[in-house]
Amino acid sequence: MNEVGGETAFLKVNNLCKSFDSLKVLDNVSTEIRIGEVTCVLGPSGAGKSTFLRCLNRLEMPESGEIICFGKNTLTHGYDIRSLREDVGMVFQQFNLFPLKTVLNNVMLAPVIVKKMKKPEARQLAMRELEKVGLAEKAHSLPGTLSGGQKQRVAIARSLAMKPKLMLFDEPTSALDPELVSDVLDVMKQLARDGMTMIVVTHEMGFAREVADRILFMADGKIIEDDAPDVFFDNPRTERARAFVEKML
Amino acid sequence: MSALIHTLLPMLFTGLRLTILIAILGIVFAFVIGSISGYALQSKSRIARAIAFIYIWLIRGTPLVVQALYIYYVLPLIVPFLELSSTTAGIVVISINSGAFIAEIIRGALQGVDAGQKETGASLGMTNFQVLIHLVIPPAFRAVIPALFNQFIIALKDTSLLTVIVVNEMTQMAMSYSSLNFRYIEAYTALAVFYLVLISVLVVIQKFVERKLGVNSPAKPKIANLRVKLPIDN
Ligand SMILES: Nc1ncnc2c1ncn2[C@@H]1O[C@H](COP(=O)(O)OP(=O)(O)OP(=O)(O)O)[C@@H](O)[C@H]1O
Ligand SMILES: [Mg+2]
Repeated sequence: MNEVGGETAFLKVNNLCKSFDSLKVLDNVSTEIRIGEVTCVLGPSGAGKSTFLRCLNRLEMPESGEIICFGKNTLTHGYDIRSLREDVGMVFQQFNLFPLKTVLNNVMLAPVIVKKMKKPEARQLAMRELEKVGLAEKAHSLPGTLSGGQKQRVAIARSLAMKPKLMLFDEPTSALDPELVSDVLDVMKQLARDGMTMIVVTHEMGFAREVADRILFMADGKIIEDDAPDVFFDNPRTERARAFVEKML
Repeated sequence: MSALIHTLLPMLFTGLRLTILIAILGIVFAFVIGSISGYALQSKSRIARAIAFIYIWLIRGTPLVVQALYIYYVLPLIVPFLELSSTTAGIVVISINSGAFIAEIIRGALQGVDAGQKETGASLGMTNFQVLIHLVIPPAFRAVIPALFNQFIIALKDTSLLTVIVVNEMTQMAMSYSSLNFRYIEAYTALAVFYLVLISVLVVIQKFVERKLGVNSPAKPKIANLRVKLPIDN
């Protein structure tokens, strides 16, 4: 069990609720995200997986509940959400690379303007991160010239350049051509082996089974299963999960 | 012929100086006013949105000539110390008039920037201001260049309407000249040529700026497109 300052949980989520208009998207979600673990979030479309993830770095503001990070509720008005975001990287389905900036500048930007790092130092850091995802030779290309898989790996490098302690992935391979998926998954597997705390929303069942320490299964805005992967895939507790697993495999 | 060279052309060149002065200052102020109100239009603040909306509604809903008459003749009657020279009034009219149209252009461009870009910036720990400066303005600026230059051309031509408050710009000069000697053909042909040349200069500047920023090739700005050809490449 990993711990930091006597704490084993990076985030403790208590009774989170979120609605869009009259639609209840998160319905009393409670769980904790433990340090060093890879948590995969599975579930049907519309279950609230993205919304859950986006609440964790407050891209979405829940209307009730709390998210405790090392003793502090991140949802309170005075909480320094930007310093949390420096520690929590996020990778989006659509990559969201900055189209006018070179790959290198995409990766350097946040260290320079958020962490006030000197440019030469940031450049070195960015090149190291690009090497890790196998794209150092693309440093001076523009995002428009990359394949989807390359874009997503740049997006991962861009997040990692901030030296995050938690990484959120929202269906990172769903927008990719099938033959490009494995490049991205390989990078994520390496990250998991290096001990990164990760929450991954995905439809890649093979990845979830192999890499996850834990599966959260969501449906209708609730977490209805919280299992080890072999339990979830071989002996799901609920009928919902059983049907889902059968359909996906 | 000698009247053309000795009287008309010097008059037009005198007017040209004022036309250029009013156009340049007007365009600069209009860009500032338009950027601020365009930003306000899409901001979260209701008051800012309301103020910008009313300003644009007033300006777009009335003709420039009426605005000029109002600022030059009516405003001093209401607010005594606001007695402006006709040139200053001209600059003010061009600025606030063009500013209202530029505001709509800017608003569209700011809203056109993909929300995912802003969220990504936020998720990296950037402040709203950093997101605006580094992620929103660069693509928005590229997007507005063609519409912005179009508006600059309109502003430049609109300076000719300032004859109603007797600003001594080119059109006023051509009118004075022809009213003395009735040589309409040469006066207004020369005037038209002057405008055509001025606007051609603007168009050349536009093409230059577009090329520099790579406006026509969204994915690849020209600057980043340069590639060193190595001897082994072929
Ligand atoms: N900004 C929004 N405004 C209104 N409704 C929204 C918004 N974001 C999400 N929703 C709705 O909330 C519900 C849950 O959305 P969410 O994106 O969290 O689901 P998901 O589990 O990630 O689904 P998917 O697998 O399709 O990505 C959906 O019905 C969606 O339409
Ligand atoms: Mg989703």
